[in-house]
Amino acid sequence: MSSVSYREQIAAALESGWRFAGLHATSDGSSVRTLLADATGATRLETAVAQQGQVPSIVDLAPAAGWDEREAHDLYAVGFAGHEPLRPLVDHDLRLDSWTVPVFGRDPYQVAVGPIHAGIIESGHFRLHVVGERILHLDARLFYKHRGLERAAEGCTLDEGLAYATRACAACAVANGVAYAHACEHALGLTPDVELARVRTILLELERLWSHLNDLAAVCSGVGLAAGNTHFAGLTERARRLNAKLTGHRFLFGTIHVGRSDITLHRDDVRLAADEVAALRAEARRGWRELQFNRSFQDRLPDIGVVDAAAAVRLGATGPAARAAGLADDLRASSPRLDYAGFEAVTPERAVGDVQARVEQRTLELEQTFAVLARLLEGRIGPAVASPGGEERAIGIGRVESPRGATSCIVERRDDRVERLRLRTGSYANWPVVAYAAVDNLLPDFPLINKSFELCYACADR
Amino acid sequence: MLTLFRDLRRLRRDIGLPRPDRGRSLAIRHVDAGSCNGCEHELGATANPLHDIQRFGLDIVASPRHADMLLVTGPVTRNMERALRKTYDATPDPKLVVAVGVCGISGGQFGVNYATRGGVDQVVPVDVYIPGCPPRPEALLYGILLAVGRLRQRK
Repeated sequence: MSSVSYREQIAAALESGWRFAGLHATSDGSSVRTLLADATGATRLETAVAQQGQVPSIVDLAPAAGWDEREAHDLYAVGFAGHEPLRPLVDHDLRLDSWTVPVFGRDPYQVAVGPIHAGIIESGHFRLHVVGERILHLDARLFYKHRGLERAAEGCTLDEGLAYATRACAACAVANGVAYAHACEHALGLTPDVELARVRTILLELERLWSHLNDLAAVCSGVGLAAGNTHFAGLTERARRLNAKLTGHRFLFGTIHVGRSDITLHRDDVRLAADEVAALRAEARRGWRELQFNRSFQDRLPDIGVVDAAAAVRLGATGPAARAAGLADDLRASSPRLDYAGFEAVTPERAVGDVQARVEQRTLELEQTFAVLARLLEGRIGPAVASPGGEERAIGIGRVESPRGATSCIVERRDDRVERLRLRTGSYANWPVVAYAAVDNLLPDFPLINKSFELCYACADR
Repeated sequence: MLTLFRDLRRLRRDIGLPRPDRGRSLAIRHVDAGSCNGCEHELGATANPLHDIQRFGLDIVASPRHADMLLVTGPVTRNMERALRKTYDATPDPKLVVAVGVCGISGGQFGVNYATRGGVDQVVPVDVYIPGCPPRPEALLYGILLAVGRLRQRK
């Protein structure tokens, strides 16, 4: 396919309702592949072969491709014609003015925060351009935690490669693992049987459970409400202990495998888990009710960090951040490889995309998670497999709704070896949205805005 | 001036750190040198109401300038190496460094590659290693108390 038609293909696809879902360079940097997805969960890949190390940029058609193109340039030396300036993203060995947006004028000054923060927070750098207390612009510099895991996975067997996908991020280990397993199974022509779909759905929702509880605790601490923080931090701890009881690991590490599941649980243990989930539901509801009537908490939330629906689409926001803006997109509603029968995306009543809407969205999603777990935690859990019979492919695609949004995993294989692994997580998609949300807000509100997204750095940096 | 600094350093070294026979407080600065966020979540959990790290007189402080101990997680990435060294230098002597988790100990899954330098001791001296992937909150508390000599090592 010629490079000119690559741009036309993307433009036509976006025109007819497809959405940008990721872009990566192939292992040798000779081509670039763009992943597109539609509302039914269908995916397609468009490939552009580089001419003299260059492919045409699509960042004008899909602004969400900005980070993907910058990363491909830094790590695979692909040029993107038309992406000007092509600022470095992963490569930190360059001067400050090479990656920041120049801000001129007499009044603006910069507030530089990180990479090491004052609390127990992951490493990342925020350069806030500020006039008085108001944020003019935010340059977020991540990839301090870039561990080169996609490269490290190259040459591994498909089974071995899983460890790199799951260790990308502890908070999304199951989501990343299932996305990887789906990608491999897609490539190998395997279809998960009913029990495998059920087990993975339970694990995904257990992960969302502790993650969303933790997010609510984080927002409370962002507001300085210690009582709310301790309530939800305590529930987060209980959710992690439940994980450990069921699977031996508080973050559910080692539970996902390509083509199978080994978890076996007696029906009595499953019933105890269901009881604990029900108890957590009651406690979470009680905590949320108290937060709703806490004036000093509620007063901090509305009308800050606004990302409306149009901006969310343009910037490629996903997960709770997109749904809080009124976009009813949730991969769980179109996941034939998982057990989400009858699932429908929810959005808050006041879906204006501010901090309040994102916080409320977490509580709505917690209700869904409790409902899914209540339905699936019944009867014993046994070993399960994915059955062969489907078409085999060189490139497999897996997409999963992580607690932070749509996560796409692409596995390009040569026989049973990983030739290229690409993991584009919900956090990766949403980080540029955080930078957008910060603009025009007061500097002291930035930590709260950031916490209302509660993105992983590890997931983005890989 | 220089002599004074040397005396101050000696003074701090002699009296500064908690001794095995005394239950003294300890200020800890956490540095994420490239972890998967698992160690951070468990470190955060040591402060939740069920573990309550402060009952031991331990506290996470905002600056290395206020810290007696650096708690370092993750394989040290190339992009975090300089920040880790600067944090180490900014922490006043005497200081303790704890490498947290399998990645902090050896680089773990990631080992050494174009983007990572391996374990924490490849970049700064380490006093105590806390194993686990990630270590549970109880293990973190045990390791920290062990590092300051408030517990005896299990044989």
